[in-house]
Amino acid sequence: MILDQIFDAINTGILIIDTEFRVIKWNRWMEIHSGLSEDDIKGVNIFDKYPDLDNTKFRRSCKSVFSFGNFSFFSQKLHRYLLPFTSKSLLGNQFEFMQQSCSMGPLRDENNEIKYLFINIEDVTDVATYEHKLLEMNIKDGLTGIYNRRFLETKLEEEYKRCKRYKSTFSLIMFDLDHFKNVNDTYGHPCGDFILKMVSSRISAAIRNVDFLFRYGGEEFCCLLPETKLDAAVLVADRFRADIESQNNVFEEHVLNVTISIGVTEFIAECESGVDILKKADEALYTAKKTGRNRVISLR
Amino acid sequence: MSEQATDILSSDEVDTLQEIMNIAFGQSASDLSEVIDTHVVLSIPFIEFVKVTELHTYIQQHVKEYSKISIVEQKYWGKFKGDALLIFASGAGRELILLLKNDEQGSLEAGSAEILESETLLEVGNILIGACVGKLAELLNDIVTYTPPMVLVEEDARNAVPANKFDPDQTAIILKTDFNFEQGGATGFLFLVTKNESVVWLKKALQLFLEQYE
Repeated sequence: MILDQIFDAINTGILIIDTEFRVIKWNRWMEIHSGLSEDDIKGVNIFDKYPDLDNTKFRRSCKSVFSFGNFSFFSQKLHRYLLPFTSKSLLGNQFEFMQQSCSMGPLRDENNEIKYLFINIEDVTDVATYEHKLLEMNIKDGLTGIYNRRFLETKLEEEYKRCKRYKSTFSLIMFDLDHFKNVNDTYGHPCGDFILKMVSSRISAAIRNVDFLFRYGGEEFCCLLPETKLDAAVLVADRFRADIESQNNVFEEHVLNVTISIGVTEFIAECESGVDILKKADEALYTAKKTGRNRVISLR
Repeated sequence: MSEQATDILSSDEVDTLQEIMNIAFGQSASDLSEVIDTHVVLSIPFIEFVKVTELHTYIQQHVKEYSKISIVEQKYWGKFKGDALLIFASGAGRELILLLKNDEQGSLEAGSAEILESETLLEVGNILIGACVGKLAELLNDIVTYTPPMVLVEEDARNAVPANKFDPDQTAIILKTDFNFEQGGATGFLFLVTKNESVVWLKKALQLFLEQYE
């Protein structure tokens, strides 16, 4: 009697199913979050109500519970959720569904035979939201929302190793706003920030979704293009250049035109590290600056 | 380093335990192939008694051929209780990902290769530990529950098991088996570090087990 009360009072989901996947118990928490009462689902095959649950991992877990009394765990990191419940988290709607951490284990009858299994569902949406925010802050630039320098360094090393191993290639575009100091000095820093955001959003919109755009420093950006050869990357870079040049940027009552200088380079097997490639792109960018700005220089 | 086994269990008891483990691990190997679609070869298990304070060095000795290892650790609780440490050789995680063929793999976000690797090790570790411990407990007429597994991925083999990890002044009964997966080639060791306090119960359970045949 007391246990029955706990079963419904506890702030965590508990359901029990039999070897035929029929629901035997469905506690109050499950009723609240699923919108299904215990009467609605009792005796019903769980896959009828939740067809997505009928997957390899879930069946494998049930099998290991029934055949050797194992426990099984479904982490939020890998599975996100077991049952699609609407999230009631107050931390915004980062996730479409409630994030869940679940465990599963055997229930035995008086002869010690495993007849049922229980599933315990915990709502970890808040924790997952915080984690997601932390991860974002770690790899993204606060002002522009594109990736930051730290992530560039990680990604560059990863891509370098991948190319070395699989003998493939990638290109790196590095660009810098021309005379950016003048923008800040003439129109103020809010205007400078406005220009940085404009450039980030225009370039973000122009790249493929496999490419990465980073804010490297103050007004310096990098774009990593996997599986892209130098000549193709130069074409892309020139599109960036022309696009930025053609914009009439309106800030308060001012109309500003800005240009960018670009250095482009490609991975070659002789490079010792990702940083080497960055240096080459920087060198090319330096040449672009020195030879008149608003241009693309490539270096192999 | 290791103590005389007979200080804790008599030689008959050790033989019986050895026999039970042979049966248990034999059965778990066949159950495992049902669950993860490949045959897992478990070597004949090996029993040793080691002081808990020396466990760290003991485990190191056994993994010295690897520079990097991954460890899945799970506690089991029954009358039979302790820690299961499943030690995988480097690269096992990636081998096992292919083996499991989970449906979710396509939907993972960027940067989640590490998550997939650690989660795969956790899942396989959980299944393997559960199968071995569960069978052993079953033969000894015990029922165990488990804590969620924890994983350390690709750690330096020398530092992976800290020296102060286990409660000192206790003797660990180490049940060790080597395993390898027929497909994929992941290999490693399973150590069951059983607490001293299980010994009284274990002696009785071994006795009961023998009586079935007398």
